[in-house]
Amino acid sequence: MDEFAELASRESEARRIARRQWFWLHFAIFAVIQVFLAIVWALSSVTYPWFIFPLFGWGTLVAAHAVFAFVVRTPEQIMIDREAREARPPQ
Amino acid sequence: MTWLFDAYLDGRTYTTLAYMLAALPLGILGFTVVVTGLALGAGLLVTVVGIPVLVATLLFTRASARLQRRLAWSLLDAPMPRLNRERDDEPGVFWRRLASLIRRPGAGRELWFSLLALPLGVIGFSVAMSILWLMVAGFVQPVVVALGGESGVAGWTIDTVAESLVFLPVSAVFLLVGPRMLLGWGTAFGRAVTGLLGRIAPVELKRGVVDVLTGAGDADGFEVLDGLRLRFGRGPFVTPIEVEAALLALESSGAIRSIRRGGRVSYRLA
Repeated sequence: MDEFAELASRESEARRIARRQWFWLHFAIFAVIQVFLAIVWALSSVTYPWFIFPLFGWGTLVAAHAVFAFVVRTPEQIMIDREAREARPPQ
Repeated sequence: MTWLFDAYLDGRTYTTLAYMLAALPLGILGFTVVVTGLALGAGLLVTVVGIPVLVATLLFTRASARLQRRLAWSLLDAPMPRLNRERDDEPGVFWRRLASLIRRPGAGRELWFSLLALPLGVIGFSVAMSILWLMVAGFVQPVVVALGGESGVAGWTIDTVAESLVFLPVSAVFLLVGPRMLLGWGTAFGRAVTGLLGRIAPVELKRGVVDVLTGAGDADGFEVLDGLRLRFGRGPFVTPIEVEAALLALESSGAIRSIRRGGRVSYRLA
């Protein structure tokens, strides 16, 4: 791997980390707001669990974000990862 | 402190405001035309009439995306790639041009953007208007109440000048930070538009790499990157990741070959 390929590989790794950090931020906001909604529901006199609607609606989006952050890779990242793997000395 | 006031003298504050004002009607127009065009075109596809309707919708999304790119670039200072307009359509008979219009790289992305432009426009407009209103509301309210009018906030009727002065400090703070917030909002919005519309299709990038190598003879990754930045402009759309991937793809297809000299790898056309 030459210097440019290493630069590309490092940038690819940085993007991956940033993507995961954005996901954890999203998840934290989701969790805080859902807990808040559940507390509001518990303290109110309403028995119908209305807080499940945002829980499942937004939860679906959070799950999709998790897939994007941890599973999905762009074709460019796949190629660069493969190149980095091939350049690594065999152990 | 001067950092806050400088935003008043920065032209980008006002162009951001202009962009946010335009984003809502443009978003409504784009969404309405695309949804109507796709539904009508798909519904009439069994007859011949559906095809021109779908073609017109695709042409509209392309023109709309061009306008959005231009607006984001000129008003929000968002980086956008310089794409060659002439290469969009293949010359030839109608059917060939139609196929190239559908297969054109970025056509799907532009279609999605036309739909996304509505929620984005609503958010952009609402945030910008809220900042603007918070900047002036506290100063306008006492004048309105002094002239005999009344206003209310969350069930509280404000009908005396003393009551109306409650919001003056809020507006004073927003008068200070509002333009800076607008600038920040414009930058964030510009990044989103660049991410959605400012992508160079891999085929365009490969074409660019071949053109750079044709001109340079042989070049390493850094030189190819510089050549591509010269061609498409500087921005998140031409980074070492995209360039390296394009070089690897071209090398594996046999269009270019790599030459290793010491620790450096140069590329030249095969």
